[in-house]
Amino acid sequence: MRDAYIVTSIRTPGCRRTKGAFKDTRPEDLLAFILKAAVERTPGLSAEQVEDVMVGCAFPEAEQGLNIGRLATQIAGFPISVTGATVNRFCSSGLEAIALSALRIMAGWSEVAIGGGVESMTYVPMGGNLPRPHPEWSRAHADLYASMGITAENVANRYKVSREDQDEFAYNSQMKAAKAQQEGLFSEIVPTPAAKYVLGEDGTYHKETFIQSLDDGVRPTTTREGLAGLRPVFAANGTVTAGNASQTTDGAAASVIVSEAMVQRLGIKPIAKIKYYTTIGCAPDEMGVGPRYAIPKLLKMAGLTIADIGVWEINEAFASQALYSIRELGLMPHMDRINLNGGAIALGHPLGCTGAKLCATLLANMQRLGAKYGVESMCIGGGMGAAALFELCA
Amino acid sequence: MIKKISQAAVIGSGVMGGGIAALLASAGIQTLLLDIVPFDLKAEEKLDPKARNRIVKAGLDAVLGANPALLMQKRDAERITIGNLEDDFEQLAGCDWIVEVVVENLKIKQDLLKRIEPVRKATGIVSTNTSGIPLKAMSEGLSDGFQKHFLGTHFFNPVRYMKLLEIIPGERTLPELLTFMADFGERRLGKGIVWAKDTPNFVGNRIGVHGMVKAIQLMQQEGLTIAEVDALFGPAMGRPKTAMFKTADLVGLDVLGHVAQNTYDLVPDDEARQDFVMPDFFRRMVGKKLLGKKSGSGFYKTELTPEWKKIRKVIDPETLEYAEYEPPQLPCLAAARGAKSLPEKMQAIVYGDDKGARYAWLAVAHNLIYAANRIGEIADTIVEIDNAMKWGFNFEMGPFETWDALGVERVAQKMAADGLAVPQKVQNMLAAGNGTFYKMEEGRRFYYDFTRQGYQPVQVSDAITSLPALKAADKTVKHCPSASLIDLGDDVFCLEFHTKMNAINGEIVDFMGEGIDFVHANGAGLVIGNQAGGMPGAFSAGGDLAFMASLAKAGKYAEIDAFLKRGQDGMQKTRYANIPVVAAPYGLTLGGGCEVCLGVADKIVAHAELYMGLVEIGVGLLPGGGGCLNLWKKMTRMIPEAVSELDLCKFFVPTFMAIAMAKVSMSAAEARANGFLGPEDRIVFNRDYLIGEAKKEVLRMVDAGYAPPLKRPIRVAGIAAQGMIDAELFNMRAAKFVSSYDAYLARRIAFVISGGDVRANSEIDEQVILNLEREAFVEFWKQDKTIARVQHMLETGKPLRN
Repeated sequence: MRDAYIVTSIRTPGCRRTKGAFKDTRPEDLLAFILKAAVERTPGLSAEQVEDVMVGCAFPEAEQGLNIGRLATQIAGFPISVTGATVNRFCSSGLEAIALSALRIMAGWSEVAIGGGVESMTYVPMGGNLPRPHPEWSRAHADLYASMGITAENVANRYKVSREDQDEFAYNSQMKAAKAQQEGLFSEIVPTPAAKYVLGEDGTYHKETFIQSLDDGVRPTTTREGLAGLRPVFAANGTVTAGNASQTTDGAAASVIVSEAMVQRLGIKPIAKIKYYTTIGCAPDEMGVGPRYAIPKLLKMAGLTIADIGVWEINEAFASQALYSIRELGLMPHMDRINLNGGAIALGHPLGCTGAKLCATLLANMQRLGAKYGVESMCIGGGMGAAALFELCA
Repeated sequence: MIKKISQAAVIGSGVMGGGIAALLASAGIQTLLLDIVPFDLKAEEKLDPKARNRIVKAGLDAVLGANPALLMQKRDAERITIGNLEDDFEQLAGCDWIVEVVVENLKIKQDLLKRIEPVRKATGIVSTNTSGIPLKAMSEGLSDGFQKHFLGTHFFNPVRYMKLLEIIPGERTLPELLTFMADFGERRLGKGIVWAKDTPNFVGNRIGVHGMVKAIQLMQQEGLTIAEVDALFGPAMGRPKTAMFKTADLVGLDVLGHVAQNTYDLVPDDEARQDFVMPDFFRRMVGKKLLGKKSGSGFYKTELTPEWKKIRKVIDPETLEYAEYEPPQLPCLAAARGAKSLPEKMQAIVYGDDKGARYAWLAVAHNLIYAANRIGEIADTIVEIDNAMKWGFNFEMGPFETWDALGVERVAQKMAADGLAVPQKVQNMLAAGNGTFYKMEEGRRFYYDFTRQGYQPVQVSDAITSLPALKAADKTVKHCPSASLIDLGDDVFCLEFHTKMNAINGEIVDFMGEGIDFVHANGAGLVIGNQAGGMPGAFSAGGDLAFMASLAKAGKYAEIDAFLKRGQDGMQKTRYANIPVVAAPYGLTLGGGCEVCLGVADKIVAHAELYMGLVEIGVGLLPGGGGCLNLWKKMTRMIPEAVSELDLCKFFVPTFMAIAMAKVSMSAAEARANGFLGPEDRIVFNRDYLIGEAKKEVLRMVDAGYAPPLKRPIRVAGIAAQGMIDAELFNMRAAKFVSSYDAYLARRIAFVISGGDVRANSEIDEQVILNLEREAFVEFWKQDKTIARVQHMLETGKPLRN
């Protein structure tokens, strides 16, 4: 197998669902913009050299439907020869898309491919517009369709993750994100055009565009007391609150992946190699435990130990499941390597985009710190975990 | 010129002002709510409009947060705009009616009216909601034009729920304006109008506060406890459960004390002036800020144990200490419990021979005498005083009705024996051979008029139809112990239930079938309505649970099924019969009562106070009389045929939730928002108008050439909806929001509403859902947990969660 090199890895800001900067921006526009930017930011690369674009999306319907992977390449102005596909593995869709594109490079089938992700949770809500659980199956096995909040409560209850610890974790996520924003560490973000509908002086609405550069869900004013005061939203006497769960978010991300030959032809310095990607199943009603199983599986494949990993991006779907996984993996001594710029509790979790978004953030941090290995992992609705290993190019 | 009130203004945003604004907004009137600019603004706030409106904003927020709700629905608040008396005063120029509800201070009111005078438009009506200050003093020196448009409009608290509106003509108020305001108050705001004279505290508060203060004085004199007084003057005497002292706690001791003092000050010649002097302990309570509900403790206070159990304690007038108490045991109370009708209960209390009876007699007798002596002074007729006490204090009977119930002659004799002065006019009435204050003749109610010394018909608006009066005039055409069919005239008949809480039993089910046959053969259309009393009253509180429970206990499931089948068939027959049917629900319209409205009516004419819902799941059942079918139909029938490819699940979810969560509307407006009332249904603010308005709707449909609806297959959500609900129930169950039995019931309810095991968007016969309803209903009765829920409800009146 050949090596697959990520030469560009970028993302739009993540903006709050229905209230944030992207509430009037169609997901195709977010995606088309970031795809185009990815090509432009890869020196010497032209769009016609891109053979295929894989796009992660957790609810590929309505505005994200048909085949948004293909639609967006056209909206981005890529030649008609550039193909596109939509990939769905819920919360790891974006990472899955990167892995699939990388595999194509590794197999020698392509020289240039893009892997990315998109989700506008404003336009297509979690669960989709028409949830239709299988009637006969759900009579006995409704756990397959368990709401994410319930799975988070289950993890907290079954594995004794206290409300206090969840809130503390959430507080730290917010503080890290606020600090990173202040220090300008989100170098992977590309300022993105956003739309809004404005009531004009003539009494009718007009579409206006503006540039959005920041993740707009970060709350620097978060306090421990404030978090402690929130009511549990998913269960009576529960511990999972809006404050210690990830935010629902709109966003898009993309990575350009090329072969070694293409690296040389373009004469550019690649960022990292994607070394391994793996997934593993777990019980649907505690899907949050996914990373706890995916990460050991990944490290075993790579022959590495946790001590070898310099930077971690472990998605914060919920504080309860992230914290549980971190504890079980023995990562507590390495908290200073995990989610350095905050996680989804502060920055948002645009489902199908998250895998691609975390890749961009991880690589930026690996570059900044000179970390040789970085791991990205997340839990997945329906009961799965995914993890990928990246190696910095020296 | 035809008068209209399109824009009103309420000045003063306290409890009463906010309540009036909420009522007006709920009745569809644009309302400007004004209050003062805060006195204590900081320098930097002086130009900040938000800070300047702080007081009125707080008033509006209190309206929005009020419990029980003051607005019929929250979004009615969109009709209220707020402002302050400095920046927004000019807006009063655009108002058709300005009602002032500012602090009870003559000088402040005079100054305000003086400011309004030049601003108000020439036709603008100005009224005061003062409860005690004479209008004459308030409007002195103002122009003739102003005085012609000035009157008193005295609402009672809480404004939405208390029916009384006292209208007080000023000396120069235009008669046509008074007529207009009375009609507006009655028709648009749904109030009962009492014509009061410009005397201190008008009618309701004058008589009511006399009754309360005197009762407190007598309590000490006769050595009774607060708890004993409240037990005597509660439902046993046809008074609200809050009786004497709990009512005082609700009103606020400061307010009560103020009204009493105000009366005392303003009626120097009153023969019973001393009856308005609050005893010393009351003054001490006010001094210690023990003001009732608003301050947390008054005559009573409620404490919570560490186990969150509520303990009610009562104050000791001597020590002002609170202590727990037992329900009082008095022989007269026991006798009243055994009595059937209210007059019998009252007689048992007042004519008993224990100390409680002695006390109750004295308290009642003094108040009856006081009321009789006020005729001519505070109001012209006994009707006004009786109505004021019924509508403003929720008494079931006013003083003169009470006197009738106790026996006028007997009371007079007992008064005389006790050395109490029987009013001369009452003596004269008796001497002339008139033994009652009221009498019914040919379906009309007459009252004794002291001025004319003879009986006069009680005047009511033409819009009011009285079923008791029609029945008294032999207009009943069919009758059984549980229901009657009454001729409303113009070939329209009224099906009236008259069981306890108007619960629907087998008799009613059978009677409905016969009634519809009768109307089909002899009439043009049908109104289903009744006029049972009470606040909010019950159009029908549901099906006869005890009857079905007895069948279930005996294992007679086939009979339950047959009972339901008869009910369903009767309703379907009525629904598709060639006569227009209008249901006129009010108050509690639950379970079977709700099913009747949804199931048979071409149109619903509902009272604004409508507590409507399908609550069967609370007793472990589901709507089995067509409720599942007909709520689904109601929710979906307005979808135009042109709208195809529709996701029926969007309609399924609210239908299911309404039934599975036993959702009950807190007003007719909310029932409409919940989908129980449709756009064709009407909301009427005055409950007394309901039958008349329903009849008008029947006649309108007849005029329009009524054709019965065609029974067509209906589209259902089918099995797709079931998977969706199963998944959601899993989450609710995991979250401990529902018990596993709730989930079992809800799953089956979803099955029924969805049409059972059919493909999504299938068209099926209505009968399929009716069959599913019955199957599920019988199945539920076989479950121990349903039996336990029913038992608990029958024993305690409260739902059991198991």
